Amino acid sequence: MRTRALVTLAAAAVLLVAVALSLAIGSRSIDLGTVWEAIVRYDPTDPLQQIVRELRASRTVIGLLAGAALGVAGALMQALTRNPFADPGLLGINAGASLAVVLGLSTGLATGFAAQVPLAFIGAGLAAVIVYAIGARGAAAGAPVRLALAGVALTALISSVTYAVLMVDDATLDQFRLWVAGSLTGRQADDVAALVPVVLVAIAAALVASRQLEAVALGEDTARSLGVRIGGVRTVVIVLVTLLAAAATAAAGPIVFVGLAVPHLARALVGASLPWLVIVSALGGAALMLVCDVVGRVIAPPGEIGVGITTAFIGGIIFALMARRMKVVEL
Amino acid sequence: MRILRLGPLGITTHRRTFAVGLALLALLAALLLFALSAGKADIGVLDSLRAAVGIPVGAPADFIVGQVRAPRALTAVLVGAMLGLSGAILQSLTRNPLASPDFIGISMGAGTGAVLTIWLVTASSLWVTAAAAAAGALATAALILALSWRRRGIVPLRLILAGIAVGFVAQATTQYLLTRMDVHDAGNALAWLVGTTTGRTWTHVTVAAIVMAVLAPIVLWNARALRTMEMGEDTARGLGIAVGPARATLAVCSVLLAAGAVAVTGPVGFIALVAPALALRVTRNAGATLIPSALMGATLLLAADQLAQQMPATLQFPVGIFTAVVGAPYLLWLVWRASRGGPA
Repeated sequence: MRTRALVTLAAAAVLLVAVALSLAIGSRSIDLGTVWEAIVRYDPTDPLQQIVRELRASRTVIGLLAGAALGVAGALMQALTRNPFADPGLLGINAGASLAVVLGLSTGLATGFAAQVPLAFIGAGLAAVIVYAIGARGAAAGAPVRLALAGVALTALISSVTYAVLMVDDATLDQFRLWVAGSLTGRQADDVAALVPVVLVAIAAALVASRQLEAVALGEDTARSLGVRIGGVRTVVIVLVTLLAAAATAAAGPIVFVGLAVPHLARALVGASLPWLVIVSALGGAALMLVCDVVGRVIAPPGEIGVGITTAFIGGIIFALMARRMKVVEL
Repeated sequence: MRILRLGPLGITTHRRTFAVGLALLALLAALLLFALSAGKADIGVLDSLRAAVGIPVGAPADFIVGQVRAPRALTAVLVGAMLGLSGAILQSLTRNPLASPDFIGISMGAGTGAVLTIWLVTASSLWVTAAAAAAGALATAALILALSWRRRGIVPLRLILAGIAVGFVAQATTQYLLTRMDVHDAGNALAWLVGTTTGRTWTHVTVAAIVMAVLAPIVLWNARALRTMEMGEDTARGLGIAVGPARATLAVCSVLLAAGAVAVTGPVGFIALVAPALALRVTRNAGATLIPSALMGATLLLAADQLAQQMPATLQFPVGIFTAVVGAPYLLWLVWRASRGGPA
């Protein structure tokens, strides 16, 4: 308990530092004093404060949102499927969002970011609903494995359609390759404002549901004897994962690494207790996302590297080293 | 239950598994005949068979069958078998039906190699790109084996984790390169991110056949160990299996089979994941079914390749697209049926 509280505090501290870095660092470095003033006593005539408020604040918020959502979605997904390799992407969410955006670009419906957010959200949601409808009927034994299989199959199907469209349509490929790299730039906070309450409510609900999900993860017979309605819990968790991952994908593009690795690393720190795992994954996911975004801003001047690429790169290296060292925790 | 024994090489098989194996073999043979004889130029079955093995039968058949259709079909068969076998080993070692060489970075490494040469050398020749893809696949394979190798040998779960991580890094590199290159080059590069059997020659067949001829016997030699290890490490040890060496050998074989397949055709997705899953379902076996998985992989890839070739001109896509279009709905249907109370 003490260790868990300490880990949570440490994660919160790391997140705070990450937020500060995200507001201060970029192609133009701004000292923390100015950042603080921009937050508490905004002076619109100061160009530096303008950068903080107009540009960096919104991308920091989007990073926080997407990172926390992916961390929690991953923690739930891994507990639900009892599979430590499970990623929210397994529900076909990234593939669904990608296809929706590609079709939107290709038909000329979604050239701007404002139109891509709802499209990606709808595509991700539809894919998850189909996967769920096929793979998770009833509470019979083996449902988690079937769910994952259905997700993998649908992902393969949707991705191949996406590839097919991209192969014949260079103009769409040109825009899609930027979207698929994942990015927090070019988005106004207004574009994603609708997603903020979705993510906050879903994370709160995840905390509430996590005790019951933990009981399901103990085994179906145990859960039943504890009075848990297995089918109901599964449905709620799937809805939450879908909302969280779809919101993150809509806000920041398909980010592949955070939902898989953050809960995995969190489990090594706080053990398998799901409520703690949800909290630490939310904090850690947000922190990882922001740090990776900051790295992407400064690593290749004068350009930037999309956050989807830096998360995969930085996270992948950390994950490879961790995989080598850590005691692999089975679920 | 039936046991085929050849020295120490014992294949224990259920009657149903044996029947499924024979049926798959027959299906594969029929598909192969179809692949050789059908197409834009219809060539008789006998003539195409003769041309395929190198007996001259006349002008168009010698070239069309001997140099185009036969190597392409055999490449598909061999690569499909390699992928099916690779996936079956990995799924059995990790006891995880979602473990697949598709996800452990080898395909992504190959893609990075190919895209890198396309980015560096704008007018890169097919062979340079292919060699770079092969180098990328092998480098990734070496890296994940090195990362997962501990004192006591390879821990399969760690192999997957290392593979996922390396795969993410490779994929991110590929996506970054794609955003940097000319959009026309990016379009060409896409073809290397989806596997294809187009334009494969006898050289490709030879490479695939050598990889298969070296690795498949080693795998089959360890098949009994693989199946015993599924009952748990301690049980396997108690039954006299040297768990560490057997596991390391099998893991290395699985990774090398996948790397070989990717080097020949590029990353044809889905076969390695689905072939073992389908083989398990049709044979109704509880554990690894290596030979049916290999046959299933070969059949699936050859069938998908035929589908890809029969498409009208506007829908000419690499076979990697069609493996998903053929395999995915079938898997979805199986899952759907299982959800409604059928056999899982």
